[in-house]
Amino acid sequence: MMEAWLCWLTPICGALLTPILARLGHKVRDYGAVVFSLLAALFASRLIPIAVEGKIIWERYGWMPIPGAPVYVGVLVDPLSVIMANVVSWISFLIMLYSLEYMHGEPGLTRYWFLMNFFIGNMLLLVLSDNLLQMFFGWEGVGLCSYGLIGFWYRDDRKYWVGTPPDEYPPSHSGMKAFITTRMGDVGMLVAMLAIYSYSGTFSIPELQSNTMWASTLMESGLLTPILLLMLLGPIGKSAQFPLHEWLPEAMAGPTSVSALIHAATMVKAGVYLVARIAIIAASLTHIIGFESFHTFFIVVAWIGGFTAFLAATQAMVARELKKVLAYSTISQIGYMMLALGAAGITANFVEGLTAGIFHLVSHAVFKASLFLASGAVLHVCETKYMDEMGGLRKYMPVTFTSMLIAALSLSGVPPLLGFWSKEAVLKVCFETGDVALFVLSAATAAITFFYSLRMISITFLYPKSKHLEELEAEGLHIHEVSPIMWIPYCLLAFSTLILGVLGRLVEEFFHESLSHIIAAGHLEAVVESHGVGFDPSIASLLASVSALVIGGLPGYWFYVARRGDPYSIVEGSVILKAVWRFLWNRWYINRLYYILFVNIPISLAKIMNRWIEVGFFNGLQYGVSLITLRLAILVDRFMEVGFFNNLQYGVAELIARICRSSRYLQTGSLNINMYQVSIILIIILLILLVSMGVL
Amino acid sequence: MSLPILIQAVLTPIVLAPIVYLAGRRLSHHVGWLAFAILIHSTAMILMVAGSEYLEVYSWVPRMGWDIGFKLDGLSLPFALNIAVLSTVIAVYSIPYMEHRIGDRPGEYGSYYALYLLYAAGMLGAVLATDLVEFYIFYELMLIPSYLLIARWGYGERERIAFMYFLWTHIGALALLASIVAVYWVTGATSIEVVKTILRNTRIPFQLEAGMATAMLVGFLVKMAVLGLHVWLPHAHAEAPTPISALLSPAMIGIGGYGVIRIALSFFPRFFTAYSLPIALWAFLTMLYGGLMALSQDDIKRLLAYSSISQMGYLLFGISSVNMLGVSGSILHYLSHGLGKGILFMIAGILIMQTELRSISRMGGLASKMPLTALSTLIGFLTLIGLPTTSGFISEWMIFGGVIRSSLASGSMDKLIVAILGLLATMLTAGYGLWTVRRVFFGSIPKHLEEVREGSVIALTPIIALAILTFVIGVYPAPILDRLTQTVMLSLNLG
Repeated sequence: MMEAWLCWLTPICGALLTPILARLGHKVRDYGAVVFSLLAALFASRLIPIAVEGKIIWERYGWMPIPGAPVYVGVLVDPLSVIMANVVSWISFLIMLYSLEYMHGEPGLTRYWFLMNFFIGNMLLLVLSDNLLQMFFGWEGVGLCSYGLIGFWYRDDRKYWVGTPPDEYPPSHSGMKAFITTRMGDVGMLVAMLAIYSYSGTFSIPELQSNTMWASTLMESGLLTPILLLMLLGPIGKSAQFPLHEWLPEAMAGPTSVSALIHAATMVKAGVYLVARIAIIAASLTHIIGFESFHTFFIVVAWIGGFTAFLAATQAMVARELKKVLAYSTISQIGYMMLALGAAGITANFVEGLTAGIFHLVSHAVFKASLFLASGAVLHVCETKYMDEMGGLRKYMPVTFTSMLIAALSLSGVPPLLGFWSKEAVLKVCFETGDVALFVLSAATAAITFFYSLRMISITFLYPKSKHLEELEAEGLHIHEVSPIMWIPYCLLAFSTLILGVLGRLVEEFFHESLSHIIAAGHLEAVVESHGVGFDPSIASLLASVSALVIGGLPGYWFYVARRGDPYSIVEGSVILKAVWRFLWNRWYINRLYYILFVNIPISLAKIMNRWIEVGFFNGLQYGVSLITLRLAILVDRFMEVGFFNNLQYGVAELIARICRSSRYLQTGSLNINMYQVSIILIIILLILLVSMGVL
Repeated sequence: MSLPILIQAVLTPIVLAPIVYLAGRRLSHHVGWLAFAILIHSTAMILMVAGSEYLEVYSWVPRMGWDIGFKLDGLSLPFALNIAVLSTVIAVYSIPYMEHRIGDRPGEYGSYYALYLLYAAGMLGAVLATDLVEFYIFYELMLIPSYLLIARWGYGERERIAFMYFLWTHIGALALLASIVAVYWVTGATSIEVVKTILRNTRIPFQLEAGMATAMLVGFLVKMAVLGLHVWLPHAHAEAPTPISALLSPAMIGIGGYGVIRIALSFFPRFFTAYSLPIALWAFLTMLYGGLMALSQDDIKRLLAYSSISQMGYLLFGISSVNMLGVSGSILHYLSHGLGKGILFMIAGILIMQTELRSISRMGGLASKMPLTALSTLIGFLTLIGLPTTSGFISEWMIFGGVIRSSLASGSMDKLIVAILGLLATMLTAGYGLWTVRRVFFGSIPKHLEEVREGSVIALTPIIALAILTFVIGVYPAPILDRLTQTVMLSLNLG
């Protein structure tokens, strides 16, 4: 399966060649980069027959020789990875094409093309990996590219800042924030991967599916759910789900092409992909350890998804920046995907849940990439990030307007566009879980989605021309439609959301058909009874979709399209609405809280510790010890050395001196005294002689 | 008798040091190339026999049964390789740096490089030694030249700091000597292999074993500067001449870790198994503390010094797992940290040379002026953070995999929690690393730095060489890993 290897290797080689191609000239470098991404897409499409036939191909070679538990490098080509690889590579190619014009003339383009191709390669590596460790390489690789590309304008010129004061952040800060926040999730994921590895001795996904020992051991020790939840932290971070979602709005500081590719269409889906893989592994283990053992995990997944969908959608209602609306919307829509995958596990109807999740993933990738690219064109023309400084663009940019309208309607789930079918599928599996609260939450999110989509389109395109634009025109700037190389990619994407939408059911059937090949044969389809409250899930979800459109669409139309009421004055007029607005505008205060908890507190803690523990205690202790030693030496000097030893020495000397002094008369040289001495000695000798001779 | 190859690698720099000193008078700063050539020879000697296990033994004091031996096996290979490669490339890096530091006092170049060679040989000898006495001598041999290097060409209160450095590490060495004497008294041998066999086969009272092991551990941990024994490190590493910092942090302190694994762990496995949790906790606190301290620094070299303390915590963390995966991870981490921190200290030196600054808060926006330096800094920090495709990831996943495996195997929930906390502490590395990159290289350029230019080619080449190496090991670690894991498994009897 050469194509699978080449698929991810080609863009990485392309990335590494970028600096060399840059030497040959700018044109060579730019077009070369696009060609490499096209090659990856072509290789990916060569894999499609495998998905259609439902085959699974698995190849691997030795990599890290850990005794007893070797690690391999390999590819796993199955319908899921093929679908992902094609979505990633084709959308990437279109965005690379768009970049040719969009990034034209920017400084640092070698860096841009390097990171873009490196990203594509790593993303394809991620989806085609046969094992978790290798997947982690891709996982962190895309994170690194995301970091580099968010901070592409690292000089932090004012015009590239994201947000509104006081919550305004420069690109280099935003990139760092993204990296560190996602990294926090990756830590959990790494723990889980390593724990599973300790039990199973493998990272390989097919082996984890076939070898069930690890799961039963984990279950017996009560660690299965904790480990899976730790694993979930990775996807939560990467896919910007609550509680690690706060990095994605700031990620909009990067070039719009980057936002489209990394922060809408592909990288942020990596988490969904991994959860889908976990769901597949879980599905193949259910006949051994029962699906109940995974129940808690999937409930958490579903609720995180459902809650995030709602949380982010509410924030999109009040956003001022065009790209921020889309960013919140991305977080919200990924929540839907997670919800579908969670529902898959709750109902144990893995095929249907997986289909809904992946279907929505694909449809979102298409329409959101289109939306982002179109918004890039708008930003390019208007030279502002705020929607309220645009307005009236319908007249000047009709192509962009049409494309963006179609994509936004698809996002809102308006039939017969692709988004309608995928969202309906999600709502359907959500209904089947029997969790009414979750279902209501996701239906409400659908309503909000339509509302903010209408708001976004209206303020940008339908409102009267803003002062800012008039000023621009006064300065002699001509507001005009962008060039075809820019609009072709997003129109193509918008067009496909329309075409695929018309074929909606067939597309869903295709996903259902090919994904069911992966789920082990003979597994428990609908073993669990549908918890539906006596309702047919299809009818319930259809009803919910339609009523959401009505509930969200009417006020949206009333306020923003027909402009019968002024939303600003209504909000200003009511204390409660004003409070709600402020709450949503401040992102539920979660962002602020995180800055306090994870930035301010650790840094102040570090400073305090530096002052009191490092300098105060440790250095103080060291100086204290040396000081005490010194003092001790001085004391010893005074009392022992001077007091005792010296005095002893002087004492001895004095004694000797005294003896000498008293005996010095012996040495006077006076003959009289000498004669006395001679007489005394003679007497002594005489006495000794007498004693020795025995006389005495 | 095998060919005298490793002994050449160690003794040539020692023997030629006086000649380098004399040549320095004539050649001025060019004498660095001579030192470089000598170290290239040492590196080549090591690479020549790196293919398989290689042992040379020479009789030294026959009456005492002391041999002098040099052994290159899977365990000492990553250490020897790191020391040889780092000291070789940093010899080149020293040429522009010491020219900047010493200026036109040509007499000093000779003594700098002579001491440099002695220092490198001391480190190399320590990791290749097969005998405890021999190990101890080399262990002290690396102390004295580095003391002089700091005292003579350091910054700030260099004499006082060098003295402090000497005292601390010497106290550590004395604790080590005490336990070597005790081991000799118990076993009657000094050869590491012989002592190991004797200790494995005799049942000595656990208290005695614990006493010897503690003394030894403390001796080595002073060198590794784990929390509580770290006081000397930030001073010494921050104020040493930068090329020496780039050897102290990445190459020397990790030798403490080598000692723990090669000597303490292989002599006293029971002790390490029994005290696995406290050691893991100590390691975790070191990681956390070093990281937090790094976060609060403004002086770039001090920041890197604290980061080294934190990274030594990882080494000890892996050792605390007492299994093949974790210990191999630790050994590999010595190499990863060596590469990453080697890059970063050399970068700090380039910043000092080009901007005359050490304070991070006075820098900013340098990426456009020094793109290669910025890229290398990022690579250095990513290696420390443990991003996949850098060698840092391979070692980090093995360390944490080892600890998690050991905690699951022993069923100890406390240890699992410490493992998770340990991984969380890696967030701090990401925090101070990327924050430093941002503060130094991104944003707008302050006025006083507008004239800054990229570092010289001679200074950048060693950095790029290390950067390439970190990717090579990160993507294809098999050649090192293969022998490393085998040796750890067989020679330490770890599973």
